[in-house]
Amino acid sequence: MKTRKWPFIYVGVITVITYIPIIMTVIYSFNVSKLTSVWEGFSLKWYEELFRDRDLKEALMNSLILAALSCSCAVLIGTTGALGMYRAKRQSVAGGRTAGTLGVKAGGGRLNDVIAYVAMLPIMIPEIILGMVFLSIFSLMGLPFGMVTLVIAHTTFCVPYVYSMVKARLVGLDKSLEEAALDLGASPVRVFFDITLPQIMPAILSGVMLAFAMSFDDVVISIFVTGPKVNTLPVKIYTKLKTGVTPEINALATVMLSITVTLILASSVVGKIRVRNVYK
Amino acid sequence: MKQKRNQKMKRITAFAMSLLLAVSLLGGCGKDSNKNNGNSGSKLSGELNLFTWDGMFPQEILDGFEAETGVRIRYSNFDYDEDMLAKLEEAEGGDYDLIIADDYIIEVAIQEGLVQKLDTSKLTNYGNLNPVFMSQFYDPNNEYTVPYGAGIPLLLYDPALTDVEITSYADLWNPALEDNIALTANYRVINGIALKIMGESYNTQNLDTIRKAGEKMIELAPNVRVINDSNTQDLLISGEVAAAFLYTSQVSAALNARPDLKVVYPKEGLGFGVMAAFIPSKAPNAEAAYAFLDYINQPEHAAACFEHLGYYCTNKAAEELISEEMQSLVVLPEEVTEGECIQNISQEAEDLHAKIWNQFKDACD
Amino acid sequence: MMDEACENKAKCKEEKVKCCMRSRAKSRSNWMLLAPIYVFTILFVGLPILYMFLLSFLSRAKVWGVDFTFTLDNYKRILEPMYIDMLRESFQLAVLSTSIITLLGYPYGYFMARMNAVWKKRMMLLIMIPFWTSSLIRLYGWIIMFRSNGVLDKVLMGIGLTQKPLKLLYTYPAVVVGMVYALLPFMILSVYSSAEKMDWTLVEASRDLGASAFKAFWTVTFKLTLPGLLSGVVLTFIPSMGLFFIADILGGNKIVLVGSVIQEQLTKGRNLPFAAALSAVLMVLTSLMIRLYRKVTRTTELEGLV
Repeated sequence: MKTRKWPFIYVGVITVITYIPIIMTVIYSFNVSKLTSVWEGFSLKWYEELFRDRDLKEALMNSLILAALSCSCAVLIGTTGALGMYRAKRQSVAGGRTAGTLGVKAGGGRLNDVIAYVAMLPIMIPEIILGMVFLSIFSLMGLPFGMVTLVIAHTTFCVPYVYSMVKARLVGLDKSLEEAALDLGASPVRVFFDITLPQIMPAILSGVMLAFAMSFDDVVISIFVTGPKVNTLPVKIYTKLKTGVTPEINALATVMLSITVTLILASSVVGKIRVRNVYK
Repeated sequence: MKQKRNQKMKRITAFAMSLLLAVSLLGGCGKDSNKNNGNSGSKLSGELNLFTWDGMFPQEILDGFEAETGVRIRYSNFDYDEDMLAKLEEAEGGDYDLIIADDYIIEVAIQEGLVQKLDTSKLTNYGNLNPVFMSQFYDPNNEYTVPYGAGIPLLLYDPALTDVEITSYADLWNPALEDNIALTANYRVINGIALKIMGESYNTQNLDTIRKAGEKMIELAPNVRVINDSNTQDLLISGEVAAAFLYTSQVSAALNARPDLKVVYPKEGLGFGVMAAFIPSKAPNAEAAYAFLDYINQPEHAAACFEHLGYYCTNKAAEELISEEMQSLVVLPEEVTEGECIQNISQEAEDLHAKIWNQFKDACD
Repeated sequence: MMDEACENKAKCKEEKVKCCMRSRAKSRSNWMLLAPIYVFTILFVGLPILYMFLLSFLSRAKVWGVDFTFTLDNYKRILEPMYIDMLRESFQLAVLSTSIITLLGYPYGYFMARMNAVWKKRMMLLIMIPFWTSSLIRLYGWIIMFRSNGVLDKVLMGIGLTQKPLKLLYTYPAVVVGMVYALLPFMILSVYSSAEKMDWTLVEASRDLGASAFKAFWTVTFKLTLPGLLSGVVLTFIPSMGLFFIADILGGNKIVLVGSVIQEQLTKGRNLPFAAALSAVLMVLTSLMIRLYRKVTRTTELEGLV
């Protein structure tokens, strides 16, 4: 029993610490003073200010759309890519052992490795150079700056998260299930949806959660690839912080936080009801 | 087991569908509201793509302009002047209708042919502008720009936290201020402190002089606690540091919160900078830009803008309309007559500045 | 192994043919799976990065942009002691941050994977929620805590532990705290994702066979969670080389990191080629690190991330 307690305490303490700055942000959103350094009393005026700020609302909307679009693209590209790479590898290993068709396959394998490596690069180099390079390459390609360029740029760094999560999951996966299903005559599509996808779903989801958060929070790349008509929320926040922290931003963080928490609570309540219904 | 899985899949699909639907609905809403706004206008219509730092205008002014003209303002921001220039270069002078930026970068933009000449007859309030801030190096004949705010970086200190009586830049080197100074992060401005102490110009291109200034800066390092461009005044207000070298808007904010802080006009000489508005060469809606420039230079509007902004008011007619407590902060004191602008210098000199700046920062650590 | 299994030659041949047929069909569908990642990666990652390398050999134009004349000056400039020093300092900070993150995050992810399903879900959400507020704002939350006469000072002085405000902010440790805080979730999630799919009966089996708890952990659990640990290290080490705004905000801008120099060269310095050269060096260095790490941990066959 004793050994069971410590992990909980450890995890609990670290989790609490990670929440300290967030709690501070929330508390100081109710500060009368415009300055973050002193506490002068309770007020809701920063919330009023926030709801009047049309640009901020528009920026929030843009960021949500951008993150949703980039994540969708990343799931498509990352998941199919990880599966394809993994299968190609397995095939070339199997092929190499049984038949002597090593030549072509090994070449394909090396190309796959290169592509996988390149696909991972966006999270291996400083964001700022990506932003600048995108700026140059997009104007070279003649793409108009705006949502399209933002989605492309964000997808490049969302793909690695999804890809690596799915790939890590596939490596430790039990292959026999898939093979058994194939041997029993299931079509590859059916096997994918009935066996592979449910098994890698947790990895896709955690990849998406990461990718969404990264896209929703990206400042550096967005600054360089955004157009005159699209502002994202982090860019807006960043520029606002540059001119001085206003509790309006803290208020915004508090609102975002409450929405997230509400959504999560709602989904878990709905989930519970569903589960109960199923068991009845 | 399988049923359960199918259910899960269905739920995920349903979730994805609803997310998509929500996004498309929200996107649609945004577009609709745009249309409505656009239709209500008079002869002016469409959008004004305004490109500048965040927080340059009070919300009332932006709303007021939209209500009066029916033009919808699209306010987008940049972080550094150089980002703005990069964007403008990529857009080849298009995309944006009105840009407000710092003096030196405007000089470059004009040289690059990215700025169109102003037709001042379209600006009924042009006569309100304060000539002190015009005819500057970047636009000697006032052909391209309209000033909007000016500043002089100043020293500010908290007499409660230090016994040193600061009157000059050189006082910052006083060992009694160890780990007690905050600086802004513009390297030309900060390295300029050392140049001023040496009696040199901000814009010297003599590499040896700049190198010497670098050595002087290294000696300042032990006293530096923070180098920060954003809300540097906060550090002074909260008592984190005893002295700070701040931009004008930050000086205004600090004095608003803590009137007991002391302002120093360093005796070695002052810096001076102007922000100005210009219309890019291929602005899609230049008419709206003119209308906006005229609107913000109407005296009452300008007064509201500068009270919000905290930079020196560039609109003469607005000065008397500014509230008393703000007046001392945003109206350029008469005795201050000369300040030197930071201008573009040779590549080698600029590179050297960047290098000694990094050495200085490294020494601060 | 397969060859051993096929003792009968005819049977073996039959097996081979079957295998080939299946793999041919597979490889056709495989190309469809691979197409999106190939096209996207080549067009929007490969080409832009090649462009970066090209840029690093060019010289900068007078005002803005680049001159298409070949030069090695950008790389020569990096060899100046100042830039070498800066690279070393960035590297040190990244190593320190990643080590602390690993020490904190590995047990966290591991313990999380051992919780029951309800708690797993709850913990996952608790980790993700902070992500949804802006990371910049969360850094400012730390400033509210750490500043002179801030919350922590008030608490410490209130209980009489300290007499005057501590100068916690704008120090090296503050930067490390910020780095660890910003990147810890990546390690936790990576470790968790590999520990979660682990077969715990293997640990039990090894214990049944007489292995000590430590030995069982080392030989079974650790080995099996290594891919997760590896991906966690990659996901934290690399960004920590480039996250300059944490050093700016919590370190008072006094620590010169390669990320901030690149940013400065791009913006204030207007020197695109030099920034590209610095990035190229940084990219090569980080790739070398990852290769080294894979060699040391002998995880090449496990197919890590890169």
